[in-house]
Amino acid sequence: MKVLFVEDNERVTQFVLKGLAESGHRADHASNGRDAMSLAASELYDAIVLDRMLPGDIDGLAIIEALRKAGQRTPILILSALSDVDERIRGLRAGGDDYLTKPFAFGELLARLDALTRRAEGQSVQTRLELGDLRMDLLTRKVTRGERDIALQPREFKLLEYLMRHANQVVTRTMLLEHVWDYHFDPQTNLIDVHISKLRQKIDADFDRPLLRTVRNAGYTLTSQE
Amino acid sequence: MRALRSSALKLSVGYIGLGLVALVLFAAPLWYAWRVTIEDSRTAIFQADAQRMAEIYQRQGPQALARFVSTRVGMQIPSERLLLFADPQLKPLAGNLGGWPAQVPTASGSYNLQLRLDGRLTEVSLVHLQLAGGYHLLVGRDSALYVPLERGFWYALLGAAVILSTFGALGGILIRRALLARIHLMRQTVSAIMLGDLTHRLPASPVGDELNTLSQTINGMLNQIEQLVHGVRNVSNAIAHDLRTPLAELRVRLEELSLMRPSPEHTFAEIEAAVSDVDRVISIFNALLRLAEIDSGTRRSGFVPVDLGKVATAAVDFYQPAGELKGVRLHLLRADCAPVRGDPLLLAQAISNLIDNALKYTPAGGSIAVSVQRRTDQRIEVCVADSGPGIAATDRKKVTERFYRGDASRGTPGVGLGLSLVDAVARLHGTTLELLDNRPGLRASMALGQDTRPTERPASAAPKPGELEHEPVYL
Repeated sequence: MKVLFVEDNERVTQFVLKGLAESGHRADHASNGRDAMSLAASELYDAIVLDRMLPGDIDGLAIIEALRKAGQRTPILILSALSDVDERIRGLRAGGDDYLTKPFAFGELLARLDALTRRAEGQSVQTRLELGDLRMDLLTRKVTRGERDIALQPREFKLLEYLMRHANQVVTRTMLLEHVWDYHFDPQTNLIDVHISKLRQKIDADFDRPLLRTVRNAGYTLTSQE
Repeated sequence: MRALRSSALKLSVGYIGLGLVALVLFAAPLWYAWRVTIEDSRTAIFQADAQRMAEIYQRQGPQALARFVSTRVGMQIPSERLLLFADPQLKPLAGNLGGWPAQVPTASGSYNLQLRLDGRLTEVSLVHLQLAGGYHLLVGRDSALYVPLERGFWYALLGAAVILSTFGALGGILIRRALLARIHLMRQTVSAIMLGDLTHRLPASPVGDELNTLSQTINGMLNQIEQLVHGVRNVSNAIAHDLRTPLAELRVRLEELSLMRPSPEHTFAEIEAAVSDVDRVISIFNALLRLAEIDSGTRRSGFVPVDLGKVATAAVDFYQPAGELKGVRLHLLRADCAPVRGDPLLLAQAISNLIDNALKYTPAGGSIAVSVQRRTDQRIEVCVADSGPGIAATDRKKVTERFYRGDASRGTPGVGLGLSLVDAVARLHGTTLELLDNRPGLRASMALGQDTRPTERPASAAPKPGELEHEPVYL
């Protein structure tokens, strides 16, 4: 994917640009609002990552609003040192698609960018999800792997549904907390790991090839690839 | 100059001015009535008098009129009325004027003139009547007679104005003194507070005058400020302690790395440990920022209807695996439909913290019961009761203080902000966190007021499964 990274801190910029390049993505960088606007207008990006606090006391939200007004529909991820829930809501209202609080782990940023760009690729209303031999019927709420039925608790079903919708992507613990439990706070426990291991017991335990894998320093991924 | 700017002085000057205006408004019609009505009727009387004498002249001739005039002059008190009957050459025939006054115009009419009478100049109103045969008749009145009366009127008016101004000014000064004394006292207190002594309070008696009410309001504000400042002081001490520890560890780790230059494997292990040190610092920061956000009360504007029963169900569901892992029975005793107005995210976090706290202290084989129920007083009570060691009655107040960690918690993970956050959330929702003995264990509960408004769709921290993918609820 091709990303426009708008941030004025050099260290953070270097870190993120290097990380994106190593993950095989291309990225342009703008350090102020004006450059960001002109780059966004002239190039085609898959996603824009934008810091809220830009030089000259410009609020990133103003840039997002301007971009949206100009008809720009590229997914935008807002980076911010402001963690208030109200700030987050303001960011999303202004036209941002996701909000990440500084300081952040690169894995978190990458996973969220991945989720954003794939969502933008278009999501039709699905009634069945499939990954390898794992099948989920969203209407009858039945899950099968191969020939076997898998009985899931409602919350486990929801967790698996989210993982299947983001199959082959890295999903972080925070993303799971936010989207499966709707908890926009840090419960300061490793509970997500416990939930994942329970789910893993049910879908992977009796099969040769595990689908649900742990990604070190980032989160989890559900994949049928080797 | 300062006295001129005093509001009491401005007020009394305003009142005096207003009083004077009222006085003028009262005197002006009187003056007008005097001037116009009385003068006019007086002139009319002269004219009637003159007319009567003209009739005597017509019927009985000049000699009869001269006699009549002389009789009239003889009868009356000197100089009250002026009368003069003169022949065509203006030679006086009878009357109480020495000679024909030169100022009187030759034509008939009524005039107001200045005349010299008995050696003094005086205001006179006259009616001059020219009779057939060239005779002249003057009937008039010496206005000087009314001057003392008029003067008396003006003096009375002036006296009233002076009394009004004096009492007004005196009242103003007295009010200003009384006000200034109290305001001065208030200023002294406030100055002392500004210098840092927050224990001072404004003097306020229960008598409900305006200044007392103001003092009471300010005292209420001071109580709150003192509490906040006290909280900030405690927190900064606690932060200094709790943040320094991980930061010191981090520093040692990094310094060791840069000095020892160990093998890459060891280096990476140390770096990972350093990152988790930083994460710990960040999580303390986040918890503190959230507490500050809650304390500021701004979140109250975002209150929506919340079903506490659903929030508790979701939280129990979330912590269930942790309970299983530890061998603690975590169960939902009761979850009534419990509509309250509140912040769904914070309520979810508060209940999570209570469960998390209970899980931390309840040993394997124990149990934790979560319940949400409507009490008989219609308040909705959330309760998390565990079978752990509980908290000694003497420590119960302390556990909600920031960074306080009981002896039992030494060596367990956590930053000691969990219960203070619950307490802060409870206070934000107009209630308190109550910690009671569960015999054995701790029974933590808070009772929220029921949402009595007609319900919109209750927002819950736990939407129905499958709902969220299509309709994200950003909290």
